[in-house]
Amino acid sequence: MTIALSSRMPSGSISRRIAVWSGLILFAVILAAVPWFSTFAVQRLLVEALTLFAIALAWNLLAGYGGLVAVGLHVFVGVGAYALFATSNQLHLNPWMLLPAAAVFAATFALISAWPMFRLSGAHFAVGTWVLAEMMRILTLNSPSLGAGGGMPLEAMGDFDRWTRNAGVYWAALMVGAGSLIVARAVLRGPLGLALMSVRDSEPAALASGVPVSRSKIALWVLCAAMTGLAGAVAYMNTLQVTPDASFSLNWTAAAIFIAVLGGIGTLEGPIVGTIVYFALREFFADYGAWYFIGMGLLAIATMVAAPGGAWSLLPQRWRFDPFRVRRLMPELGPDRHASTPALNHDL
Amino acid sequence: MQIMAETFLNGLMLGALYAVFGLGLSLSLGVMRMINIAHGDLIVVGAYLTSVVMSAIGIGPFAALVLVVPMMFGLGWVMQILLLNRVVGRDALAPLLLTFGLSIVLQNILQELFTADTRSLQAGDLASLGFEFGGVSIGVLPLLSTAASFALLGVTHWLIGHTHFGRQARAVSDDPDTARLVGVNDRRFFAVVTGFIFSLIGMAAVLYALRTPFSPTAGPERLLYSFEAVVLGGLGNIWGTLFGGLVIGVAQLFGAKISSGLGPFFGHLVFLIALLAFPQGLFRRSAS
Repeated sequence: MTIALSSRMPSGSISRRIAVWSGLILFAVILAAVPWFSTFAVQRLLVEALTLFAIALAWNLLAGYGGLVAVGLHVFVGVGAYALFATSNQLHLNPWMLLPAAAVFAATFALISAWPMFRLSGAHFAVGTWVLAEMMRILTLNSPSLGAGGGMPLEAMGDFDRWTRNAGVYWAALMVGAGSLIVARAVLRGPLGLALMSVRDSEPAALASGVPVSRSKIALWVLCAAMTGLAGAVAYMNTLQVTPDASFSLNWTAAAIFIAVLGGIGTLEGPIVGTIVYFALREFFADYGAWYFIGMGLLAIATMVAAPGGAWSLLPQRWRFDPFRVRRLMPELGPDRHASTPALNHDL
Repeated sequence: MQIMAETFLNGLMLGALYAVFGLGLSLSLGVMRMINIAHGDLIVVGAYLTSVVMSAIGIGPFAALVLVVPMMFGLGWVMQILLLNRVVGRDALAPLLLTFGLSIVLQNILQELFTADTRSLQAGDLASLGFEFGGVSIGVLPLLSTAASFALLGVTHWLIGHTHFGRQARAVSDDPDTARLVGVNDRRFFAVVTGFIFSLIGMAAVLYALRTPFSPTAGPERLLYSFEAVVLGGLGNIWGTLFGGLVIGVAQLFGAKISSGLGPFFGHLVFLIALLAFPQGLFRRSAS
């Protein structure tokens, strides 16, 4: 049993908790009610933002907490989307009911792929996952049963009217976005998070103190694959048609990396900040075509050189509050002292 | 049988080119412990640069190398001094993400300058020459290109083994801190190494562009083939990289015989299988 120090902070007082929870519930109600007071275009944009947020969060968990940089994370976007489309079209089932199946399929695929991929480490793992994504792209491109290069539509979506379809996809995206944040927070506060952070700080030390290093990394890999696969499935429910070149496209990972780098790698707040910045930039500058991508690339390079911790690290130390309470502090230290040291007060 | 022999031979010639692609990647991994995600895009940059030089001056591809190689060296030197030296040695993540951003920037600059259309380099009369050997037809240009690939690998091997530059490279690769203690200015040395890698890229680019049409987005695939050659052969082993490249090249062309769209897939598949069978690469790093 692990006690994250955040629960001992004075901020856990009853009145404050009530304020936080009522604020969260109000926010959730407003978000859930979006389909009644917005256009389809807004909903589609929000679906894009929420699914991309979940993918960026998964990339950030892998890179920032597991030390697993996956340049080929987009393989799970495609696998999740194709799993949903193929099973729904084959079995003529409601695609919303099949979303868990897409997540399970992506997780299974991740578990199998861990066998060759975890032979590689560091930068080699990063490029190795990209090889995996390329393989899956070429394979679907050459599979007539999956529609080959033209891809396939989600036939069951024709049974629903336009409002239900859009609202349903939006609610699914909301569940994916909020759900992955909740899961990520729970994981980081739990034993897996403790293990991962100890590996991040010093792998040999973690190994020596009995942390199951490779098992923890594989668990994180499978979890992030499920998150990415689910997000991919919902993202393609939004577009109604999946193609190999779009779903197994590096652009998914590039956007996720951009969001994580800009917001701050190794934090939960980073992807939230990054997603907002990413979509704001895209809405304003996407019309500039190639110049937009050149600007984005240069911005990412500048961030890596000047502020490798991303936007979140630019906040002054005392404003850097910990809304998700995933930071672990030594019991002797005051709550204002920043440290990523694992808690020592756990009774094993 | 004849087709098999021809496919095998072509695979070997393609593989020799992949080995030269991998050579630069292997050097940056060995000396600077960084992987350059933009490696493939730089090969494409080299190809476009050659194409521009050829049409500006009106010379052939090999003559253009006289200008392209120093230009690529300069580009590499400047890039290392201005950009890469700021992140190298920090951890594996920073150089990887920085060069990832660079890859996106390069692809889009090429797209803006040269449109998304494919281009190719013309070798003139050389392209149509060929001869029969034991019933197998061999093109003179691919054969020359393969000879050039072997020459590049051989020269690099000699440079690493027998020159001051090579001794410094091996010293920094073995122990950067001690190398600095005994007087290697590693930042400035890295700039020379990157310049050298970019020169190799320039030469590989010409060999590549003479055989395959290229477009601004062709880079990432070249990176993956280079990477596979390096990992398959075992790190820090030039002849291992050559063997890795040959395996990938042969696998791709036999794969393409099975189904025309699946060539690269079989290359990747052989890579994964080899990874499971020989996690350290086919050849371990040699003692030297």
